[in-house]
Amino acid sequence: MNEGWLALMQQAFSLLLSLDPDVWSIISVSFSVSFAALIITLIPSIVLGFFLASYQFPGRWFVTNIVQTLQSIPTVVIGLLAYLLLTRNGPLGDLRWLFTQEGMILGQMMICAPVLIALSQAAFSSIDKRAYETSRTLGASWQRAIWTVCRELRVPLLLAVIAAFSRILTEVGCSMMVGGNILHHTRNIPTAIALETSKGDFAQAIALGLVLLILAIVINFAIGSLRGKAMPRSQ
Amino acid sequence: MTAKLTAKNVSINFKERKLFEFDNLSFCEGDVIYLQGDNGSGKSTLMKLIAGIIKPNSGDVIATGFAPKKWWQSNSLLGKAVYLHQHAYLFDGSVEYNLRYALPKTRFSPQELQARVAQAIESAQLGSLLKSDATDLSGGERQRLAIARAWITQPKLLMLDEPISNMDKQSQKLVLAMINILKQEGTGLLISSHQTCGLTALCQKHWHISEQKVVESSHIPSFEQSQEFHYVSAN
Repeated sequence: MNEGWLALMQQAFSLLLSLDPDVWSIISVSFSVSFAALIITLIPSIVLGFFLASYQFPGRWFVTNIVQTLQSIPTVVIGLLAYLLLTRNGPLGDLRWLFTQEGMILGQMMICAPVLIALSQAAFSSIDKRAYETSRTLGASWQRAIWTVCRELRVPLLLAVIAAFSRILTEVGCSMMVGGNILHHTRNIPTAIALETSKGDFAQAIALGLVLLILAIVINFAIGSLRGKAMPRSQ
Repeated sequence: MTAKLTAKNVSINFKERKLFEFDNLSFCEGDVIYLQGDNGSGKSTLMKLIAGIIKPNSGDVIATGFAPKKWWQSNSLLGKAVYLHQHAYLFDGSVEYNLRYALPKTRFSPQELQARVAQAIESAQLGSLLKSDATDLSGGERQRLAIARAWITQPKLLMLDEPISNMDKQSQKLVLAMINILKQEGTGLLISSHQTCGLTALCQKHWHISEQKVVESSHIPSFEQSQEFHYVSAN
């Protein structure tokens, strides 16, 4: 049994280190799709989070609760929604994005946005108003003042980005439904792990799992380091 | 043209309660005004109103004698007068970062900027703390840094909200000296305090918030008359 595990681990490392084209294609699809979804969603979501935290308007409570609810919807349900949008008879059917990376990006954007909006809203709600007021009365433009506020909140905002990225990089349901798990096109790390495990090809599944594990370790150490530097302010 | 902020027919309510109202108040370059009022009478609110941080329930604040804004900039009151909070907000970073935050780069040559920073550091006696984290400073040091930061911008109008509350005598002396320099440079100063102190002796005009009215006069209550009061912090 132990020898079997050892052999699997050796095979997994060898797949990664020998730059196996199939494995690295899967890793590449995973990161390119998730990075694209994150980058497209990032600025509008943070602006919306700022807006929800800073302004009172009718229906604010409702919007906030909807956003928070969307965070907890299973990714497979979001995948189903994206599928219905992209299917040939759906409202976005003319785009022909079903089973493409563009479709996966759209699905991951739908997963990513509520996480970013909710966490950035929470971050902006915690800001000391004096930061913005001080910046503006010292003569800074509103753009620079908002940049200053974001700088003051860089730790919680970065945590929001990392949380959103982790969620989309590791989700299976939406990518499987919208992407279709096509090798070299839409097969990403989570869908490949699910497939290879069902086929009994544990070496490739472990190799891909190791990539996610290493990423999780790097992200958690980065978060730990940031948290360590962020001291509570007395004033 | 002399920089001037004029507030006309202003009324401010706090929820259902009327805080204060007045017909006409002007604050211009060269003025040194002592703003007096009991705790909760609305001194900070009046300053924030003139600084453009809050809007009145009725009435207007008009700025004249300031450089015209570029077409893409909003014509906000913010930035016309520097407002220093009672508990100054310091940005996350070193003392030097805070000092250089609001450097008016276009108005001075690099040599002049350097000289101005050096003079600010010397006046506030923060030379040994330049590389320290601003959030590690004591209350007096924080206030000195905030005044030095405002001084560097060479403001036309500066509002100081209870600037020497909670300060030891040495810090009070330093702040007094810095404010004296600003007065000599012709900066308009509006200094709030709920009772007279060494700082209010510099003033030439007196605004008093009493019974929900702001009354202007040229009579300054003398410092000696108020010696029986204990100087305490107003929140």
